[in-house]
Amino acid sequence: MAREASTIKTKYRLNKGDGAWAYAFIAVALVVYAMFTAYPVVSAFIISFQDYKPLGSSYVGLDNYVSVFQSSLFWKSMGNTVLYTVLTVPVALMLSFGVAILIMPLKKWMQTSFKAIYYLPAVASGVALSVVWLWIFDPLQSGILNQLVGVFGISNQNWLGASATSMFSLVLMSWLSSHGTSIIIYVAALLGIDSSYYEAADIDGASFLQKMWHIVLPCLKPTTLFLLVTGVIGSFQVFQNAYLMTGGGPDHSTTMVGLLIFDTAFKYFEFGNAAAQSLVLALVIAVMAFIQFKFLGKDVEY
Amino acid sequence: MKKRSRFAATALALVVSAGVVSACGSNNDGGNAAAGNTGSEGAGAKKDTITALLPPVSANFQANFNQMEAEFTKQYPNLTLKIEPASWEDMTQKLDTQVNAGSPPDIAFMGSEGISKYVPLGMVMDIKDAATPEMIADFDEGPLKYMYNGDGLYGFPAYMEVHAIGGNKPFLEEAGIDWKKVQQNGWTFDEFREAIKKGVVKEGNTTKRYGFVFATAGVTSKDYLGILVKNAGMPAAFDKDLKYAYTSKNYLTLLTNIRQMIDDGSMPKELSSIDAGKRWNMFLTGQTMITGKGMAVFENSSRLNNEKIDKNDGSAVKDSIKTDYVVLPVPSFAGQPAVANSIVDGYVTFRGKKEPTAEHKANVAKAAYFLASGQVAATTNGELFSAPITKSSRKAAEGMESKQSPENKAAVEHLLSTAAPARPDIPAELGAKAIKLETEVIVPKLQALLAGETTPEKMYEDVKKAAIDTFGADGVVQD
Repeated sequence: MAREASTIKTKYRLNKGDGAWAYAFIAVALVVYAMFTAYPVVSAFIISFQDYKPLGSSYVGLDNYVSVFQSSLFWKSMGNTVLYTVLTVPVALMLSFGVAILIMPLKKWMQTSFKAIYYLPAVASGVALSVVWLWIFDPLQSGILNQLVGVFGISNQNWLGASATSMFSLVLMSWLSSHGTSIIIYVAALLGIDSSYYEAADIDGASFLQKMWHIVLPCLKPTTLFLLVTGVIGSFQVFQNAYLMTGGGPDHSTTMVGLLIFDTAFKYFEFGNAAAQSLVLALVIAVMAFIQFKFLGKDVEY
Repeated sequence: MKKRSRFAATALALVVSAGVVSACGSNNDGGNAAAGNTGSEGAGAKKDTITALLPPVSANFQANFNQMEAEFTKQYPNLTLKIEPASWEDMTQKLDTQVNAGSPPDIAFMGSEGISKYVPLGMVMDIKDAATPEMIADFDEGPLKYMYNGDGLYGFPAYMEVHAIGGNKPFLEEAGIDWKKVQQNGWTFDEFREAIKKGVVKEGNTTKRYGFVFATAGVTSKDYLGILVKNAGMPAAFDKDLKYAYTSKNYLTLLTNIRQMIDDGSMPKELSSIDAGKRWNMFLTGQTMITGKGMAVFENSSRLNNEKIDKNDGSAVKDSIKTDYVVLPVPSFAGQPAVANSIVDGYVTFRGKKEPTAEHKANVAKAAYFLASGQVAATTNGELFSAPITKSSRKAAEGMESKQSPENKAAVEHLLSTAAPARPDIPAELGAKAIKLETEVIVPKLQALLAGETTPEKMYEDVKKAAIDTFGADGVVQD
């Protein structure tokens, strides 16, 4: 009897309070997550053990994973992706941090204007940006970048068509665009540092660099870690630049894992193999994120 | 929270959730299943809808969709043709996504060589039994064969055209090239090599005009080698015994010749980055004497730009000069006979996850035939400067004015007479393996060869090794 009464009471509370409404609202996000994230991941996991065909797939065990690990092209594309990440993410962080530091002393409206300007490329279509970059990297003498290097007496370069320069071209493109989000986050973090730290440092006679080293960098560590982890994840998933600018060439020198997965799925219709590749990539990203948190996030408080 | 607000918010949350679920759950069989269902109910001439995914095949093709749909329904009152337009860039990706989701359109416009890609999936629809003898008899035999794979007929051809090269008449004459003779008799690689050397114009160390520029980047990455290889004794990727042909010694000769043209300075050393738009721009701005690939319709593009220059129209290509496009054959390599690279594009028929009924199949065949014949085909062929390939479209084209030069028309007809025959005997599985080999090995290695990062010998060995890995030592030509 007592238990029955307690159950009725709990039910009553659930209906009476805001709990039920909260669940209803959470349901929206949960349904969206289930449909567009959880379901595709589970599907990819299942497909990775299949020879996928629209009219009926067959189970192939670990064949797709064996094929991925035995593929020299997969490892080459993984190497390209790591190289691209190493060359782009740290530079992106430094550039964003530098711009944020330069923006900080400005008046509020100036800060806002610069933040908007730096954020503009994020709003522009990636395809449109790529078209502009293709124009910049025009291989003939009339190309913009070739005219620039021509000033220094260097002959025209086949920027996207030669292995020696194709990866650098993609990296340069990354260096010079889309730091807006990081800059805004860094500026917000800089504004969050209590001014009493700077006042105390001023009293102690600290120089600009000492303040940077002893106050700014430690205080921005959580922000930097966040940007590093998200930057590495984004860089490992890079697809658009390679797809639109080089198509992975020449001789697979710019084939990233994301592009390889796309080709495997949509050029060869090997969806099982592509699913296996994408799950291996997800695992690599997870390991990378874990390592970053393990070694860089020890003394970070959120 | 007030009761009314709670109710409104909950209702909103439920509507959003239900919307997401229903958006994902419904319509995943697309128009095909809907049409199939309609057709599966049996009983008489029932209503049916046929869906088609069509790119801008010719200049005014997409502008005529409403008229085409109306005329089809006028001809078949119980049928509705629903056309979805797509850009050339989106076409393949859109179709591939729909195919792999199991809900493709009933008809899609594409190259006949793409059929082999979809056959292993079982998603293309054989209309051999659904097409009437009158429909079949209307088509020229040669182009129709391209729509076969094995015994199956997977749609109807829209046109057959030649992918060759094209020259600018004043530059050809300036270089002393008898282009009329070349149009009729062709040329060997050695003759071609000397001709394009004469076409180069330099100012100091700067090349102002190249002898020959062929687009090799982006979507055209497969074209260059694909077109040239047919003239080097390998009209298809497999020989008559179904052995992979690109391991032949002639292939090495061809690769050597490709590199020689760049080393001579007749082609730009940056060739691997020249895409279709760039090389056409180079042709119109006088930066090359000969361009590739060349299609008959380029004569029209050249003429339209000339008209704009005459009218001082600002939309003329920047820095362009007046050009006179001349259709030229691709040279022959390694002493082999010239074989023109014929392209047959057409209306390929697809099926959904559900087995289509015989009635729906017949309706799809009617729609594909409607698009590939008669007035629709005559208009499209006229805009593309390509010869009609059905009796009905030839009749419909009577009286239509053509602006194609008689010399180019004769040259195209001559090239078509040397076109590589269709190879429906190549099994889809072998075809799919050859496509993968081409995409994963040949095109990337060719890019490296053009960029001077590998040698013809090294590329040949790489291709040979990959081919033996794929088809086995007995599955490739060893000469």
